[in-house]
Amino acid sequence: MRCLFILLSLCATVLSSTQGVAQTPTVPSAPPAQATQALPSENDLQELTRLLGDERIQAWLQAQVNQTELPDAAAQQTLREQIAQVSEDIGARVASLGAAWSARAGIQDVVEAHWQEQLPPAVQVRSLSFVLIFLFIGFGLEWLVRQYTNPVRRRLEVAQYEATRDRVNAGLVRTGLAFLGLFAFTLGSVGAYSAFTWPPLLNTLILNVLMVIVITRATGSVLLLLLAPWAHQLRLVPLGTPVAMVLWRVIVLVLAIVLVCGAAADVFEDLIEQADLQSAEALAISVASALVILLVSVTGLLLVFRAVHKHEPRLSPKAMRTWRAYLVTICVVVFLLWLINLEALMWTVALLGLLFPSLALVSAWVTSAFDTAAAEFQAKRLKERQAQAQLAATSEDAEVVSEEDEAEEEDVIDPYRSYRPLAVRLARFGVIIIVGLSLATVWNVGLFETIDNPTFTQRAFEILLDSAFALLIADLLWTWGKSVIDRRLANYKPPEDNKAPGPEARIATLLPLLRVVLQATLLSVVIMTVLTAAGVNIAPIIAGAGVIGIAIGFGAQSLVKDVVSGIFFLIDDAFRVGEYVEIDNLRGTVEKISIRSLQLRHHRGAVHTLPFGELKSLTNHSRDWVIMKLEFRVPFETDLKLVKKLIKQVGAQLKEHPEYGDSILETLKSQGVRRMEEFNMVVGVKFMTRPGEQWLVRRDAYQGVRDIFEANGIRMAERNVKVEIAGDGDLDDEAKKAVSAAAQQAIEQPQQPNAPIPDEP
Amino acid sequence: MTHPTATRSLGVIARTARIVTGLILLAFVSTHLLNASLGIISLEAMDQARPYLTEFWSVPPLGPILALSLLVHFALGLWSVYQRPTLYVNAQDAVQIATALLVVPLMATHVIGIMMVSNAGFDLDYAGTIRLMWIDSPGIGLLQIIVVTVVWLHGCAGLLTWLRSMERARNVVLWVYPIAIAIPVLSLLGFSEAGRVVLEAAADATVPETTPTQAPQSDMPMPDFALIKSVTNWVICGSLGLAALTLVARALRQQFRAKAQVILIRDGRTLAPVRSGVSLLDGFRLRNEPHASLCQGRGRCGTCAVRVLSSSQPLPEASPLERRTLEQKNLPSDARLACQLAPQGGQITVTALFPPDYAFDSVDAAEVST
Repeated sequence: MRCLFILLSLCATVLSSTQGVAQTPTVPSAPPAQATQALPSENDLQELTRLLGDERIQAWLQAQVNQTELPDAAAQQTLREQIAQVSEDIGARVASLGAAWSARAGIQDVVEAHWQEQLPPAVQVRSLSFVLIFLFIGFGLEWLVRQYTNPVRRRLEVAQYEATRDRVNAGLVRTGLAFLGLFAFTLGSVGAYSAFTWPPLLNTLILNVLMVIVITRATGSVLLLLLAPWAHQLRLVPLGTPVAMVLWRVIVLVLAIVLVCGAAADVFEDLIEQADLQSAEALAISVASALVILLVSVTGLLLVFRAVHKHEPRLSPKAMRTWRAYLVTICVVVFLLWLINLEALMWTVALLGLLFPSLALVSAWVTSAFDTAAAEFQAKRLKERQAQAQLAATSEDAEVVSEEDEAEEEDVIDPYRSYRPLAVRLARFGVIIIVGLSLATVWNVGLFETIDNPTFTQRAFEILLDSAFALLIADLLWTWGKSVIDRRLANYKPPEDNKAPGPEARIATLLPLLRVVLQATLLSVVIMTVLTAAGVNIAPIIAGAGVIGIAIGFGAQSLVKDVVSGIFFLIDDAFRVGEYVEIDNLRGTVEKISIRSLQLRHHRGAVHTLPFGELKSLTNHSRDWVIMKLEFRVPFETDLKLVKKLIKQVGAQLKEHPEYGDSILETLKSQGVRRMEEFNMVVGVKFMTRPGEQWLVRRDAYQGVRDIFEANGIRMAERNVKVEIAGDGDLDDEAKKAVSAAAQQAIEQPQQPNAPIPDEP
Repeated sequence: MTHPTATRSLGVIARTARIVTGLILLAFVSTHLLNASLGIISLEAMDQARPYLTEFWSVPPLGPILALSLLVHFALGLWSVYQRPTLYVNAQDAVQIATALLVVPLMATHVIGIMMVSNAGFDLDYAGTIRLMWIDSPGIGLLQIIVVTVVWLHGCAGLLTWLRSMERARNVVLWVYPIAIAIPVLSLLGFSEAGRVVLEAAADATVPETTPTQAPQSDMPMPDFALIKSVTNWVICGSLGLAALTLVARALRQQFRAKAQVILIRDGRTLAPVRSGVSLLDGFRLRNEPHASLCQGRGRCGTCAVRVLSSSQPLPEASPLERRTLEQKNLPSDARLACQLAPQGGQITVTALFPPDYAFDSVDAAEVST
């Protein structure tokens, strides 16, 4: 299927080049005459001024101008008249074809006689000598260029390419070298040719020969870039070597034959023009050339399809048969249309007939190119990973590396994924534009001229083309934007239960909004453009939209404020779903982020909804790490070294915990005595964990410290009052009661309140 | 083939003889073409330079040497065509063989005509020759252009292959290219300019021009044109016949030799099988596998050398020519020249010693090989 692309382009080149050859302007030998024309003399100019001043002359000029405008009106025929005209033309053409058929027998003699008359045998041989000399000079120069560029070319052809970009670059350089050689050839041969003056017929003949050679070789060089039949590393189309070779040879050969036919027809036309031959004979010759072109094209098609059938089994034979039949039919139809002289229709059929298959082929080709690029990327990656694994195998943490790699691999299966749809669109866009412009040229709508009074066709073409351009560009932008957004969204994985979402969550919030905005903008721009192209005045629409916009803007001022500040909060990554945040007096876990507002769940269950516009500052408690400080009160006589050791032990135990051990960044450690109080010392400890884990760690830290203190005979300080009694006599019950009451009073004395312990969810 | 010493002398002598005779012939052609290129200046200049550029070749020691060189070169060419298992594997060989077979028949008319006419004592100057070639029989003029093209193609192909295969000549080659183009282009331009002058003169004075050309001819001793024609025809037919005979003999030789399939594995890539008797180098080329070869398979440069890793059948011994090259180029003892090694069957695995785009100026590659 892909190779069809080449075939189609071949047909296109064939068609355009025959046209090109047929229209090759024969270099006129007249120009010197123009150059020798003398400037008008003083007298002539005075005479002209006098004449222009004459009223009769002015009236006559006016009449002339009016008359030239008249045919325009006459051209406005009715449809019936036009159809009648066309059928009349076809009838005349068929009649002249008949005449050509009956004149076929005598044509050889007639042409030969005129040929001899124009070019006697001695002149023929001599001109052949000259042509050979020119060709020798051309090929000699090209050979010289090639000798100096050959080392580069050989290196390019021999090298191995791992990335498509390198391959394309190398192919381009190689084609550039081929064109350099071709340029040298053209310079040598055409340069030597132009140094001589020639009789007109010989002029046409030799120029045509040189043109045929140059055009064929240029096409061959361009195809070399795509097909690279002799250097499979440089091939850009997904074809095997045998098919590429057949394809290249067939295309170049068919093109050469077609060009030769076109050139021959051109030369004969020239000959016949000079010899005043009847038109029947001229027609017979051009019909014969066209027939040869048809046969050669069809044979080429069949040959290529045979090669494809033989060497590319992955393409379905049935589809190939359909394509073959389709293309042959197009060739035949084009030929028949040419035969009855409906040139515009012929071009339309050819261009539209080739449009659809080439669209399919171009997308297939681009897709396959992307496949190759992705495969090459994978291969390169695999190689790198193997090298890395080898490296890692020597070091200890081999497993860690490979695990990390596997996790990474899933993201980068195809680095070009987002460009793929864009490239396909772009390629199709190019094809459509080319076909559209060609059609416009064929129908002669004067696309590139400014026309004061366009006809209906011209107007319609203009609107169609403008709208198509707008649509295609918008489509291109939309595809690109959508593919980028969709890819980012596809990469986003919703967070698992009980886990905080990653930083991509906020992007997932923003992207759909962005997509809608893009869509709306593109849609409105396209509609405006199409309307403008169609001649509708869009100024009132824009003005109306402006008024409505202002009205809505005032009404929805705070809404807009919310949305915009929301976007900035999201871009700043100030909070994510699942994080514990504090805004003014409100605290809670972020439960939902919408375009306009934020919902917080307080740890006691209440849900707060906050529009983004209201947010001034925001405290996030769930970022990166949390430090928690604890205090223990121990009696003054406690061994602080032992305490330090014991707390260290507890810290080690916590770190070993299977559930939260990993979340502890810095485990429990003693900070020594933080302060002395009336009855005890305050020993400070602290630890650092990931946000959210600190409560659990704190619970176990308290428990662990209490247990280990008890096991080691360290008592937690209790409030006690030492009563010192003067004298050494025993106290009676009454006195004891009074003492304990006093002590009780001392204990119950309200102490200064402790600093509030931070709240917890 | 049975006598190694005999083959040794034969192979090396034939190669040397081919180059020496080829260089002599090329020197003659170059001076002759330079003579023709003076036509750019004028017809008189051509004739004035004639004694120094063309005629000194007919001085006794040079004349026979030239003739002998031509014969030896032609015979060696036919022998090599007969020997080769492949004829059109690479473009240069194909061109060289085709031109080799065409040179003698094409040149016969010119060489024999001029030689016999001058031997008959008729002084044929350039003016007369050019007039003959452009006005009286333009067919011969056309033929001369074809001859120049063919001879020059053949000569340059041979000369450049020889120069490229020598490491010390690697800088010379770059200077030879422009000269190789300048000589024929200038001579063709001289030829066409002279022709233009002659044609204009003929157009200016159609009537008086015809009488002077015929008048001296009637006075001077007339060469025997019929004899010239018949001798030329004999030479043409003879050389064409020899060429045809060689091709037929070669075809028969190919037909009757033992045929087997050879599977080549080069640097780990298995190529589609080729015929036995085809050299490794030609096998690579047939299968589109690039391989270094500066002398185009003449066994001279040693850049096609390979190391044979394994072979399922015993390989033919290295010929003296091959051994000599291997020694001269200091190649490892287990290396073979791909252009000389023609396996008789089975499967053969080799690695190339030089990169496919190797040239003598790429120093890195040379270091790799040693």
